[in-house]
Amino acid sequence: MKTSGILSVLLFFSVLGLIVYFPGRKWARVHVNAKTAVDDHPLNCLSCHLYTQKSGFISKLINRKYLSPFNMAVSKEGDRLYVIAQDDNSLLVVDTEKKKVLKKISVGNLPHTVILSNDGQRAYVSNEWSDDVSVIDLNTIRVVDTLKTGNGPAGLSLSADNKSLYVVNSYSSNISVLDLNTGEERKRFDTGNNPTGTQLSPDGKTLYVTSRRALIAPYGETLESEITVLDETSQKITKRRNIESAYMMENVAFTPTGDLAIMTMIRPKNLVPSIQVEQGWMMTYGIVVIEQKENGRVIQLLLDEPNAYYSDPFDIVITPDGKKAFVSHSGVNTISVVNIDSVRSLIAESSPELLNSYSDNLGISSRYVIKRIKTGADPKGLALSSDGKLLYVAEQLEDRIAVINTESLETVGAIDLGGPNKITVARQGRRLFNNSGHTFQNQFDCYTCHPDMHEDGLVYNMASKDMGRNLTNTQSLRDIGDTPPYKWNGKNQTVYKQDGMRFSTVLTRTEQFNYNDLDAITAYIITGIPYPPNLQYNPNGELTESQLRGKALFDRAKDNLGNDIPENNRCITCHPPPYYTNLKMAYVKTLALSDDSMLFDTPHLNNIYASPPYLHDGRAATLEEIWTKYGKEDKHGRVNDMTKNQLNDLIDYLKSLRAPAYEHIVSKKFHAKN
Amino acid sequence: MNKIRATLVFFVVMSIGSACIFFSSCTEKSMNEMIIFTRSSGKPKYLDYDTTDSWRYIPQAQIVELDPNNPAGSLKVLSTNYYSARSPQISFDGKYLLFAGQQKQNDPWQIWEMNLRDLKTRQIIASKENCTDPVYLPGGRLVFSKFASNDTLKAGHSLFTCNLDGSNLKRITFNPHTYFASSILSDGRVLTVGKQIFPEKGDPMFIILRPDGTKADMFYKGTKDTFITSPGLETNNGRIVFIESDKVFRGKDNLISISYNRPLHSRVNLTSDIGGDFHAVCPLHSGRLMVSYRKSESDRYSLYEFDPDNKALGKVLYNNAEYDVLEAVETGKHDRPKKLPSEVDLGVKTGLLLCQDINVSDMQSSGSTASIPKSSRIEIVGIDSTLGSVEVEEDGSFYLKVLADKPFQIQTVDKDGHILQGPSAWIWLRPNERRGCVGCHQNPEMVPVNRIPLSVKKSPVIIPMHINNVIEKKVSLE
Repeated sequence: MKTSGILSVLLFFSVLGLIVYFPGRKWARVHVNAKTAVDDHPLNCLSCHLYTQKSGFISKLINRKYLSPFNMAVSKEGDRLYVIAQDDNSLLVVDTEKKKVLKKISVGNLPHTVILSNDGQRAYVSNEWSDDVSVIDLNTIRVVDTLKTGNGPAGLSLSADNKSLYVVNSYSSNISVLDLNTGEERKRFDTGNNPTGTQLSPDGKTLYVTSRRALIAPYGETLESEITVLDETSQKITKRRNIESAYMMENVAFTPTGDLAIMTMIRPKNLVPSIQVEQGWMMTYGIVVIEQKENGRVIQLLLDEPNAYYSDPFDIVITPDGKKAFVSHSGVNTISVVNIDSVRSLIAESSPELLNSYSDNLGISSRYVIKRIKTGADPKGLALSSDGKLLYVAEQLEDRIAVINTESLETVGAIDLGGPNKITVARQGRRLFNNSGHTFQNQFDCYTCHPDMHEDGLVYNMASKDMGRNLTNTQSLRDIGDTPPYKWNGKNQTVYKQDGMRFSTVLTRTEQFNYNDLDAITAYIITGIPYPPNLQYNPNGELTESQLRGKALFDRAKDNLGNDIPENNRCITCHPPPYYTNLKMAYVKTLALSDDSMLFDTPHLNNIYASPPYLHDGRAATLEEIWTKYGKEDKHGRVNDMTKNQLNDLIDYLKSLRAPAYEHIVSKKFHAKN
Repeated sequence: MNKIRATLVFFVVMSIGSACIFFSSCTEKSMNEMIIFTRSSGKPKYLDYDTTDSWRYIPQAQIVELDPNNPAGSLKVLSTNYYSARSPQISFDGKYLLFAGQQKQNDPWQIWEMNLRDLKTRQIIASKENCTDPVYLPGGRLVFSKFASNDTLKAGHSLFTCNLDGSNLKRITFNPHTYFASSILSDGRVLTVGKQIFPEKGDPMFIILRPDGTKADMFYKGTKDTFITSPGLETNNGRIVFIESDKVFRGKDNLISISYNRPLHSRVNLTSDIGGDFHAVCPLHSGRLMVSYRKSESDRYSLYEFDPDNKALGKVLYNNAEYDVLEAVETGKHDRPKKLPSEVDLGVKTGLLLCQDINVSDMQSSGSTASIPKSSRIEIVGIDSTLGSVEVEEDGSFYLKVLADKPFQIQTVDKDGHILQGPSAWIWLRPNERRGCVGCHQNPEMVPVNRIPLSVKKSPVIIPMHINNVIEKKVSLE
């Protein structure tokens, strides 16, 4: 080609480039501004068009499969550590001397807890998303049995004689008693709401079960969460203790002498207008101490300090000498060390009134917290070696176990579990989601109000305009990437806007996320929060007779009298599958006098059974109440012509709704079969 | 051939361009970390908060630079063009120096910024009144003290913020306190020394507030025998260090450390076992401290290193029989504090105040058995008059809508109007600020009880009460 030809081609492409660049850049600016609601977000196409890919080749290319260690158990000899790798659906067998993973055992979906039998021959692993327990022979290191449980098995405990296994069913809110000889479930008892932690007292007589969500109660009433006490000998519930103003009691431990039971907890301030973070106006964190004697007192002690909060306490263990308790705070990557003798002294010397005031006193922790030990990202489960000299900490978002000397209270080592070295954008987003570093004085994080990336069942007074107005029922974040807009009033059209400047001004009240962090948290929220399977109400995609009748009512165009139901008043119109939302704003006549005038973003309904209370301000305690108490004018769908049985059928159907991902699994199985 | 030539030309041009970029970046000479301090030849007097003459506005003070690796070397006077200059502060990137200065003897003190590479200065604030104690804020702004005389303040120094070019000047304190010696904490809040000047004079105490003037609160007050005489500066291990003076035994000022996490109950006197007198402190990047110290009143204040762990003086960094070292800073980059968002909206004329229970007091949380009289009414007192008397709700709560930027105090009264507790410290609310308190005179370490205050189920009471309605912009933050 002649020089003039080359120059002509170069000139052509240069002009073309300029034509595309300038208007293209202008268009991109308008586009990015609209998505992010700010005018200075970098024009980085990768932010939305790469990192938020939920599936396909690109998603596989840029994302990694992590292990995410959660809970652990140590062998009596101390040479083996058994680690739940939650995102890998496996149990890792770790050599504590060589600090190496020896073997990976596949278990059920989303394993939660591992415990060992007294003789060290068996391990039991609860699988929260497959409703069973894997029984593992520790000699052959393989699964030898799978025991059916209730819905969402989490905490586990063995009876003193090792003949019964207690399984805390976190989703169905009950506890199963499994006979380990037959593998059959012998009894099932109701517990508090969303229980997870359980522990048998040192004398083997009393089993405690802690719950995470508060008992459902009208907004304004004192928050209460239940601790369920079971007599191990008779295997009967002997007491239900409601702990006031606390929730998220994740785990419990007994002192070796059995004089105290101590559990982790959060004291939320959801009834107080959210007007500031200073002085603990949003959340506080601590422990519940229950004296194990006749008329034993219940004392709540904060682990926070006046200008420093230790968010999301998760696990608690107590040394064999009963001197120290260790509490993991997953929100601030810290372990608090509590001097138990100091707690005893404080209780002994304080009047009942003073003890009561400690639950709201940020300074009292200086009496019993003797050290804060920093850890890697998201410390969850704790395990002590049988001699109590070493503490193992599952750093969930590091794929690593930290090893702490319980005498020197220093970190003395780490066990790399062999997860991916690369921290992807979405993984970084998950770290941010679980970390309180982006709220003023670390007072809370996304996970605090959205535990398990879901919702905490509380209604908050966000005080957006005047105090006491516009109550807000916390919404689930599961699989919300495809269901914009966000917030009940639908004001945020993207996750970018939801978590941007507005978020920092009215909620976190500290510096907003920088744009890299905003990209990361958006990528995580859009790509990384799956629904659990709906094993309780729709385990295999085959609806029951009642659910099928309910589906017909949900889809109906005519009422019981044969009249046409206006299209905009049919369930299916505003709640079409796969997410059961039409992504539009709606008027359903549920505004309260204390609400500003607004339409509501139509909520998605998958796994709706797991999100009580209902409606924007949580006034409906059950799905039924949406219509029996708050839908009398037929503005929220035509329902008043229904019989009670029909309403039951409709609710049965609503409870069966589950994520599209599980429908695809059924669809694939169906096609494979045919 | 042409292709080869074109390719060669392309590479030559690219190489020259790259080299230019590379070498231009090298023209920025590397800077050692230096010590910059203020020295004064005059005889130092005991601090007087009211006149401030012997404390903030010191005649013929100089800002000088010292190479800590060569302390015996010659000093460089940075403020050669100023009659007096002091209060040096280093920018977060380590490139600039903020200071207060007086070009001529009778000029008002103003705020200046110096480029540490070429030592060129520019004036940031040009006011008729004295300005002092500038501190960098994140986001290209600064906070400083400025003298003012008006109805609400009476006569004293208020805090102001502005951009680094002096624009967008905003006053952020509105009560009759005089404010000096500010610093910024890593959480993004301003820590300043405030002293009530009306109606009675109070003791100086550390006040903490957001850079927009919201959420102002007491952070630390000295013991009954001491008062604060320097800024509180945050160390890299979560402590705040400062100097405290004894009210009776003047001339024995101590270096004090408190914890950021629990400032009111963590006071440690780092120099109780050291004779002599401390005047200023500055945390170093190394974790050690730099202090201005003299052994006796006949000595000059010299610059020393200080080991806070062992509570011991270290090596002398600078001493000169002709000068006292008044304050010092270390150059170099340092972590930028958080840039806090602001809820202030100047289109709104009011702020909202919620108190959860006026009958919650410090005595209850400390276990005191003294009887605490219950009250059911509060009185809101302004500078010159009572602004209203409000019946509190059955649960002890009240909810007020108060004209913004106007100081007020609250006192609880019984049904006969007798004062039971109070008056409180002076409070102000910024436009659109929403603020809460647990009780009156409550223990600052107590958090609110999780219950809906009855008062927020109604509209707020407008203060002053003679106003029936405030026409203002409606703001919905959500």
